[in-house]
Formats: sequence, C-alpha cells, structure tokens
Amino acid sequence: MTLRNASKATLGRFLALVTGLIFLGSCGGSSSSSSSTSTPAANNTAALTVGFGPLGAAGGYVNGIFTSVTVCAPGTSNCETVDNVLVDTGSAGLRILNSALTTVPASSLGTITDSNGDQLQECVQYGDTSYSWGPMLVADVELAGEKASSLPIQVIGDNSFAVPSQCLATPVLFGYGNDDTVAALGANGILGLGAFGYPLDCGSYCTSSSDLTQSGYPYYVCPTGQACSATTVPTQDQATNPVAAFSSADNNGVLVTLPSIPALGAANGTVSGSLIFGIGTQTDNALATTATVYALDEYGDIPAFTYNGVSYTSPTNWSVLDTGSNSLEFLDANTLASVGIIECADAPGLYCPTSTIPFTVTASGANSTSGTIMFSIMNADTLFNTNNAAFNDLGGDSGTSPANDFFDFGLPFFFGRSVYIGMMPGVFAGESSAPSGATSATYGYYAF
Amino acid sequence: MLTLGTVPAWAVLGQYESSVSVDQQYLRSEDRVQAFQAYKVHQLTTANGTIVREYISPQGLVFGVTWQGPFMPNMQQLLGSYVTNLQTALPAQTHVRHLRGLTVKTNDFVFVNSGHMRFWKGSAYVPSLIPSNVSAEVVR
Repeated sequence: MTLRNASKATLGRFLALVTGLIFLGSCGGSSSSSSSTSTPAANNTAALTVGFGPLGAAGGYVNGIFTSVTVCAPGTSNCETVDNVLVDTGSAGLRILNSALTTVPASSLGTITDSNGDQLQECVQYGDTSYSWGPMLVADVELAGEKASSLPIQVIGDNSFAVPSQCLATPVLFGYGNDDTVAALGANGILGLGAFGYPLDCGSYCTSSSDLTQSGYPYYVCPTGQACSATTVPTQDQATNPVAAFSSADNNGVLVTLPSIPALGAANGTVSGSLIFGIGTQTDNALATTATVYALDEYGDIPAFTYNGVSYTSPTNWSVLDTGSNSLEFLDANTLASVGIIECADAPGLYCPTSTIPFTVTASGANSTSGTIMFSIMNADTLFNTNNAAFNDLGGDSGTSPANDFFDFGLPFFFGRSVYIGMMPGVFAGESSAPSGATSATYGYYAF
Repeated sequence: MLTLGTVPAWAVLGQYESSVSVDQQYLRSEDRVQAFQAYKVHQLTTANGTIVREYISPQGLVFGVTWQGPFMPNMQQLLGSYVTNLQTALPAQTHVRHLRGLTVKTNDFVFVNSGHMRFWKGSAYVPSLIPSNVSAEVVR
C-alpha cells in the first residue's frame, strides 16, 4: 500500500489516460480520510494579508497577497505552518520553498519515483522567464480547517540537478533564475488555486509520450550520472490545486473577498481579507444573487471584452482574474494613448497618466451573460511615492497592440469585491459540482 | 526521427523562407501556406495543437512569427539571433512581477509572450522587415 495508490483510488477516472510510466510512492502507509458527510462543516476561511510580503518595504514589491499553509508529513501529525505563501489564482498547485520547511523538512515528505527509483522533478517557467525547479513530493496539506491528503506539491530548490534546458523555452533573462529563495520569490511559496477552472498544472499534455520532446515541458527524472529527461506523469502525481483535493465538499472553488481601499493606497499590513473555500457549500459562501456568473471558454478565458467600442476575443486576447499579479495589465499604452495613458519614464511597462483615468469594460461570458467592470488607473510613480503597499489603481501594459494584448486583472481588481472562482465541474469525479446559477459552466466560471 | 540533438539549423526570424521547412521538421508539424497580396504565411500545426505561424515578405524573409499552444515554444529556434534582443531590452521592474508575460518593444524588435500553465501564446516581429504596405497587426 502506498500513498500514490491511495490517490489513485480518488482520481481513478484519470487512470485510463495514463500511457507512460506509472509512479509508485516510496513512502509507505496511508490514512483513510476521517471526514464524512455527517461530520461538522470544516472551517473554510483562511486569512489573507496584503502588502510587501516577507521582503518588506525594502523589497519594493507591492500588492502581494499572502496566506498560511500547513504542510504535514503524510499520514502523521507532524506538521509545520508556512506563512507568507503567495495566493495565486493564475496557476495551479502548491509550491513551497525548501528553505521554508524546517521542522517538517522535505526529507520527511513522501516521494514519487519511477520504476528505477528516480524521483519526479518539476520545472515551471513563468512569463518573466524565472522558474521554479525542484522535486514533486507528497504531503498532507491543511488550509484553515480544510485538508487535502497525499497531495503532490513542489518543493522549490530541494535538488542539486542542473535545470533541464528543455524546460526553459525562453532564455532566462539577466537577474532571473530559480525562484528558490525568499529574495527571488518574494514569498515562502505559491498557492496556485487553479484558475481557468482546471486544477492540474499540466493535465493530459503530460500523460502522453507524444509531448515529451516539447520545449517548455515541465516534468523530469534525473537518473544518476545522466542529464534529466522529460517523463510522462499520471494526473494524480501532477501539481494540483489543493482545493480540488479537499476531503470536504468545499472543493468546487474559492471566494476571495478584499475590502475597498483609498485611491492613494493602503499601508503595509492594514489590508486583510478572506479566502473562503467552496461555493454554495456552506452558509458563508453562497453564490450571491447580485453576482454575475461568467462561464469560461475552453481556454479558461472570459470569451470577450469590449472596450471603447472594440471587441477583444479569446484566445487571441486571453484573460485571467489573477491575484498573483500586482497590477492591472490592461491593453497597452499605444492603444490607450487617446484616453491619456502614458508609460512611466522611470518604469516602462507601468502606466503614469497625469490624472486618474476611469475605465469601463464590458465582459461577456460563455453563458451569454454580460456585465461591466469599472476600475481606474492612477500614476504609478505617485502611488509608489506614498510608500503604501496596496493599490487598486496600479496598471500597466499587457502586450503592445490589440494583436497581442491580454487582460491580466491582477490584485487591484479584487479590492472591494467578492470574486468567486469556480472549478470545472466533474474534473475529479464526484468531487466538484457547481452551485445553481453556474451549472452550465462546463469549463469553470468567475462570478462577481 | 529528429530530436533536439539533430536539428540541422535554426529556422528563424529575419532569415529566408527555406528555414520554415526546418521548423516544420523540428515541430513534426503539418504545413499550410496562406498567400496574401503582400505576404504569405506558413502555419505549422503539431499533433498536440501547438500552432506556429511564420510570416514571409515578398523578398522571402521571415518578418514575423506567432505561436499558441500548451507549452512555450523554443524561442532560440523561432527568434534566432533576435533572442539577444530580449536580454538587452528588459526594463528593470522592482515594484511588480510579470508571472504571466514578457513584453519587449524596441525600434527594431517587438516581442510578447504571455499565458499560463497549459496555455501560452505570443508573437515577435521585426518592423524593418515588414513589407511597406503591410501593417504589423497582421502578425497575430
């Protein structure tokens, strides 16, 4: 009996897709879930704090949003709570710095190995060309009162192998590298809450050997004395949004609530909010009747936005509601020049209009709903000069023209809103369901 | 079967159309050619759904490339020597991070790569190589 076998029982519907190596856990013993439908509702609310994060004001990093995650050696009560974990609705899976695990070191977690005994490693490259590189290990993970048992997580930096060049599709830029320190990451980890409705970071693209030669491929094994080589990975061993793996019914999405803040921002440590697990599963997470549900399309995008009479459509102009980005990456300075947007002279890529500019954008869901999104963009230099740490009006370029622009509604979007992020129903058989009002959202949904 | 180690040459932005066939072999893809009045497009589609388009001027030069698929493409392969423009053009950013994308805009090189796990897309072009009667907006 292995931990991985325990997971396979839960994720059995994916086994038919697995055509590559079968991974077997080397860490014995598993505990069956103690929860059942008769147990009291779990505490489903984790605290959120917004600000500079662990680097402090000196780091300069604004609009970071953090929570605490408890990591346990699987099947034990041997647990450690890691604070300052970045909450990221733009990625999937839990990734923790090796250096953040002290009383429950990485060596106490379960391993995922192939038939040769080589451990599974992962390399994820981000847009800025930085990357996370380290082993996939197995932990019991707790968020507030919610538990995900035998969850595959990445421990960033817990290996000594050279990162595979195949993974780094875009050459790593000067000043970037493995996000394996607090200084590099600005956090103790990343809690990827599976935006785009989908809880896995690779899914079927990593279960078939046909994609093993693709650049940017994430999963590897590193046999002794050999270079790391790409490997297929069953879905139950891939990095997974912990929420989707909760043993409770609160596994169908999350609700992020943050208070309104002033136009000139809020000081570090003064903004707190709630990360509530489940949608329509408890009294505190009912889908508000005032919220508009935007079903996502097959790309995980809101299908269309209209601004200034121009329609921007997915996937050319893809989109995300993204707590993991610090600013509103909205169109580009050239496209918005007519309304007064200019780039900051000292920070190209950020917007420095001479006065605050209001925007109204219409969003259209795949379920034929539409609604308006209103926000403002203020001069970034003015904002940074306040020395505040949270801003609802910090913006910048996405691309360079409507041909390549995208809509990354970063943390500024979330202030003063309750944003529901709904999982794709049925991805994990029997575990995810949508509340009434969102049942037609095949690919997941946003509601706000 | 071609592998990483046996690619004979890079097919790249700013080079001749003949390089497209190298990309086609490398990507193990179908090649479909669309001809327009002032340029043509090779669209390479791989089995996993990755689409790479290469835009060819009447002089036969690749003036733009686009990509879309579950993984980032090999930028060395697609951009050739222009990949060094990424290194030199990046603005310093201390207040924000761009986990979802990278945008570089200089007089002679424009590059945007954006996306997230399981979905990446982007484009790159060389303004000076774009035919005079063609808009850069066609590279999409």
